Amino acid sequence: MPLRGIVNTARTLAFYTRLQEVTANNLANANSDAFKADRMTARLLPGAAHPVPVELTDLQQGRLRDTGRPLDLGLDGPGFFVVNTARGERLTRGGGLRLDTVGRLTDSQGDPLLGPDGPVLIHGRDVEVRADGTVLVDGASAGRLRVENVDGPAGLLKEGFGRYLPSSRLRPVSEDATRVRQGVVEEANLDPLLSMVDLVTIQRAYAANIDALKAMDSVLGAVTNDVGKVP
Amino acid sequence: MNPSLRTSASGMMAQQRMIDVIANNLANVNTTGFKRSRVSFEDVLYETLQGGRAANETGAEETGAVQIGKGVRVAAVLRLHAQGAPENTQRPLDVAIEGDGFLQVQRPDGTIAYTRDGGLSLSESGSLVTNSGYLLLPNITVPEDATNLSIGDDGSLSVTSSTSTSPVELGRLELARFVNPTGLLALGQNLYAETEASGQPVVGYAMEDGFGRVLQGSLESSNVEIVQEMTDMIAAQRAYEINAKAILAAEQMMQATNEIIR
Repeated sequence: MPLRGIVNTARTLAFYTRLQEVTANNLANANSDAFKADRMTARLLPGAAHPVPVELTDLQQGRLRDTGRPLDLGLDGPGFFVVNTARGERLTRGGGLRLDTVGRLTDSQGDPLLGPDGPVLIHGRDVEVRADGTVLVDGASAGRLRVENVDGPAGLLKEGFGRYLPSSRLRPVSEDATRVRQGVVEEANLDPLLSMVDLVTIQRAYAANIDALKAMDSVLGAVTNDVGKVP
Repeated sequence: MNPSLRTSASGMMAQQRMIDVIANNLANVNTTGFKRSRVSFEDVLYETLQGGRAANETGAEETGAVQIGKGVRVAAVLRLHAQGAPENTQRPLDVAIEGDGFLQVQRPDGTIAYTRDGGLSLSESGSLVTNSGYLLLPNITVPEDATNLSIGDDGSLSVTSSTSTSPVELGRLELARFVNPTGLLALGQNLYAETEASGQPVVGYAMEDGFGRVLQGSLESSNVEIVQEMTDMIAAQRAYEINAKAILAAEQMMQATNEIIR
C-alpha cells in the first residue's frame, strides 16, 4: 500500500532529521572539554511496525591535553567527578574548573566538586592533586575528590554544561582503572572525519527517501486518477 | 525548519570566539609578562525524547530516552599563569619575577593593581614607576645622585651615592600573590585587579614564604607559544568549516523536502 509506505517514509525522514541534528551537535562540540559523542541508530522492537531511534553516549576516553593550569583536572579511565548542585548530585569529567570565593573547587556552573565529606576546600598556594583524587594544599591533605561511575552508559542522562544525571546508583571506581590527572583537560572523543562521513550519508539517505516518497506518490496518483478511465 | 541549523550556528560562533582569543594571544606574543588564555567550551541543553516501547507475547520492551543536544557555548576563558621565560635586557631597572608574585602598582584612581611586567623607570621625583607611569607600591625613591642601582634576588634595592662608597639599601620590592590567579581580572596595560574569585592578595617579600625570585636586568616574556597557538588556530578553523558544512547539509535536506511537491 503506497499510503502506508508514505507514512513510513515520512517517519524515516523525521528520523534522519533527528540524526542530522545529533551529528550537528557532536560537530558543534568538537572542541568542548570532555565532551562525549552521541550515537543514534534505529532499532525495530519485536512486534513493532516501524523502527524507533535509540541513542548511546560513547563514553570512550578522550585524549588528555596538557594545559599547565593546576586547576585543570582530567580523568584517565572510566568514571566521573561528583558535583553537588541545587537539584542533587551530578557527574562531570572536568573542564573549566575553578575556585569560588570560599575556596571550593567548582565546575563551570559554580557548583562544588564533592569529596566523601562534602566539598574540598582549597586555602593555600600550591595545589597538588594525586592520581587517586587526593588534594594536597601546600603539602597537607585537604581531602579527596570522589571519582564514581554508574552501571553502564544507559544510566546516564546528559544535562548539558558537561554534566550528567546519574539514573542508577553511584559506585566508586577502582584506583587502578582510573587516575586523576592534574594540569590536563580531556578533549572531545569525537572523530570529526567520521562525523563528516555521517553527514554525507544522512543527506544521501534523506534524498533517497524523498525519491521513494515521490515514486509512491506518482503510483498513488495513477491509482486515484487513471484507474477506471476509459481510453 | 531544520533545528540543527541553530546547533551548527552555535558551533560556528564558539569557534569564532576561540579564534578571537587565539588572535589576542598571538598579538601579545611579545608583551612583557603576558599570560595566554584558553577557551573552554561545553555542551548546552538537551532535548529528551521518550524512548520507544513495544509489547508482544514475551512482554514489553523499551528503549532508552533519546537526547538531542542543542549546540555549544563558551564555558570559560581561563588565563594560564604559567611562568614566561626571563629575557635578559641588561637594563638595571628591568625586573622579572621567577616564580610566584605580582608587583603592586597604584592606579590614578587610587586603587591597587597587580602586574608581572617589571619594566620600571624613575619618575621626575625619583620614584619607581611602571611603563605606564603608575607608582610602584611601596614607594621607593631613588636620590638623584645615586649610581650603581642594584636589585637583589630578594628584591632589596640598593644604590651607591656620591657621598659614600658602600651601597645603601633604599627599600625592598614587595610582591603579592593570590590563591587563584586565574580569577584575576585583566585590566589591560599588563595590569590585573583582584576579584572575589582570585581571593585577597597575600603580600610578602621575594625569596620568602614561597614567593619567587627577582631577577634584575631581565623581563619576563609572554608565555604564548606561537606553534601551540597556530595549531589551535588550525583546529578552530577546521571546526568552523565543519559546522558550516553541517549547515549546508541541513540546507540541502530542506531543499529536497521542498521538492516533494512540484
